Amino acid sequence: MNKLELPIFDFTEEQKVFRNEVRSFLQEEKEKGTFESKCDSWLSGYDPAFSEKLGQKGWIGMTWPKEYGGTERSAIERYIVIEELLAIGAPVAAHWFADRQTGPLFLRFGTEKQKQEFLPKIVKGKCYFSIGLSEPNSGSDLASISTRAEKVEGGWILNGAKTWTSGAHQSHYLVVLCRTEKKDPKNRHKGMSQLLVDISSPGVTVRPIKFLTGEEHFNEVFFENVYITEGNLIGTEGNGWEQSMAELAYERSGPERILSTFPLLEELVRLLKENKDTDRLKEAMKLVTSLISLRLMSLGVAKYLEEGKDVGISAALVKDLGTKFERNVAEIARLLVSSVPSVESDIEIERYLAQSILHAPGFTLRGGTNEILRGIVAKGMVAG
Amino acid sequence: MSEMHELIIDSTTKILKDKCTKELVDTVEKGVWPEDLWNVLVESGITTIAVPDSIGGTGGDYIDAFHILRLAGKFSLPLPLAETLITNWLLADQGESPLFEPLTFSMKDNTLEIEQVEEAYLVNGTIENVPWGRFANKILVIGQMNNQNTMALLPLEKAEIQQSSNLAGEPMDTVIFDQVKMDLDNTYQIDKDQIMKKTMLLGALAKAVMMSGALEKALDLSIQYAKEREQFGRPLFKLQVIQQYIATIAGETVASLTISNKAISAFEQGSYEEEVANAKLKVNESAGIVSEIAHQVHGAIGVTHEHQLHQLTRRLWSWREDFGDENHWAEQLANRVLNNCSQSLWEFITRSEQKEPVK
Repeated sequence: MNKLELPIFDFTEEQKVFRNEVRSFLQEEKEKGTFESKCDSWLSGYDPAFSEKLGQKGWIGMTWPKEYGGTERSAIERYIVIEELLAIGAPVAAHWFADRQTGPLFLRFGTEKQKQEFLPKIVKGKCYFSIGLSEPNSGSDLASISTRAEKVEGGWILNGAKTWTSGAHQSHYLVVLCRTEKKDPKNRHKGMSQLLVDISSPGVTVRPIKFLTGEEHFNEVFFENVYITEGNLIGTEGNGWEQSMAELAYERSGPERILSTFPLLEELVRLLKENKDTDRLKEAMKLVTSLISLRLMSLGVAKYLEEGKDVGISAALVKDLGTKFERNVAEIARLLVSSVPSVESDIEIERYLAQSILHAPGFTLRGGTNEILRGIVAKGMVAG
Repeated sequence: MSEMHELIIDSTTKILKDKCTKELVDTVEKGVWPEDLWNVLVESGITTIAVPDSIGGTGGDYIDAFHILRLAGKFSLPLPLAETLITNWLLADQGESPLFEPLTFSMKDNTLEIEQVEEAYLVNGTIENVPWGRFANKILVIGQMNNQNTMALLPLEKAEIQQSSNLAGEPMDTVIFDQVKMDLDNTYQIDKDQIMKKTMLLGALAKAVMMSGALEKALDLSIQYAKEREQFGRPLFKLQVIQQYIATIAGETVASLTISNKAISAFEQGSYEEEVANAKLKVNESAGIVSEIAHQVHGAIGVTHEHQLHQLTRRLWSWREDFGDENHWAEQLANRVLNNCSQSLWEFITRSEQKEPVK
């Protein structure tokens, strides 16, 4: 049991000062009209100009080594930046996956050339990545993928298709998990590799799949005899599955699994305070308490991650509880204010409600469905 | 955690594992006082932990004490340990040495009159919902003496006890003093609101922590059962729906442990009102969710008296009402937010994590 217990995290004085700095900047930018707050802004708030501004502040790739343009800040300082960005609903979708996943992937497994070529561009907020995992016939069962790269002189020829690829219609590159060996039914995780694909390469077709709102976030990506040079293999040939899985703890337990609907909760509490409606505020505070408990868990995981501990199960728990919470915020908020939710409304809470309700089904699907995550948790618990 | 802390927790675990069995808990519910176990706890210094050794306590800090209470919840310890500890702590606040006998308290707006009559005191009044009233030797109460709010530690031997119990079968008695004449070592003039508030917070934290322990045990039992029980030719845990249940119980348990650990650490640091409110509120919610699912995992065996699960779930259901239910603490938090009107919610949530209010 104790293996599940998470440490309590306390921020240092420097970190507190840093939080103020980040918050002041974002409030000023919002007041200047640089961006409009919205819910789920890490997936749907695409704004390259704002990403570049964050790059200038040094808040993209901020934990990375200085030689690649990073500022060598701690993971906790990055956590603070991410939290502040999401709490205010700032548009961070453009650089999101590059900052969260691809950069760390290069640092861990990439060649020196890859690091030198891509990291400085990512840090500036000018180079965007998407992650190609799911396929038309491989959803939750990721190990069944069949996109395949054939070895040829000087590289590979890639054929196949990816789907549900967030942001591929706006990104520059795609990290594709594919088979570089034939499928082995006895060891399904074997023989996969991660290849870096320039989305503008001949043979790559990106076709947006409209989200249920009609918005474009995710895509199908087709590869037809796409030539990938040897230099675009990330990490070790055949080690793709392990490399992909290693990224997941970061993906699962971050603030974006808790705060996607925070702008709605913030506005809800503001309105109830304004009306001095203690009864309804009470119901809202139950949500706030859940949020506080989730933040503590997420910070505990972050602390363990920084110490290099295995947090696979706890990270999956945070995502399961966190994404359910994000959805709950919308379901409870709608009963505490009378409103007509609409993405086009002039009233802030009506917009936030609309964004939250319509995006909610995605919260508990993206990055592995909650059911798959719970399976991982339960198997870990029973084995332990 | 310090080595000392680990030592204390390990030795308490060992004592409870050996002595606080399912059968003992059943026996106490039938009305038998577990004298042996109580004596072991007293001798190991557990009933006086976090009382400074300079005034005769065991020493140690509140982190030790609350982690012991978590174990008490995990083992369904059928003794007034939380009540005795809190009473000893409140006495220590008055500079008093701890007592080594079972104690209880009722720091509420009791309608209790204490009159000084010559060398002795005359006590009149009724106190409801006294945990462990029938087994405690003394009760710490707030009463009125010469129209002054007074705290006093009253012996219970001459009080009338009307027995009742909570959902878990733990004593929850009515104590009646009807013209009872007694000697009192001491009475204390107190700030009633302040002491009622502190006791409410101490009680809520103790219960939140004990409930976290009970949740841990409910999770352990559910995992164990899902591994052992076979249906459809395979262990229950091979069924996906059971895996989903186990993960949900695990999630709520970790959430409860984390938020109560935060409250413990805040308590030790001295600023804890909001942390305790959050902890009791969240743990109460988790208690309902986990109890329901743990029973569903266990099937019919889990609703028998023979199985251990009810010793945990009945406590979880019952303790939700002790020292503030979800609505009580949500209202406290709502008032705090209303009183910090200029703050945004995010500033409110992170206010101990920022340097100064951002203009």
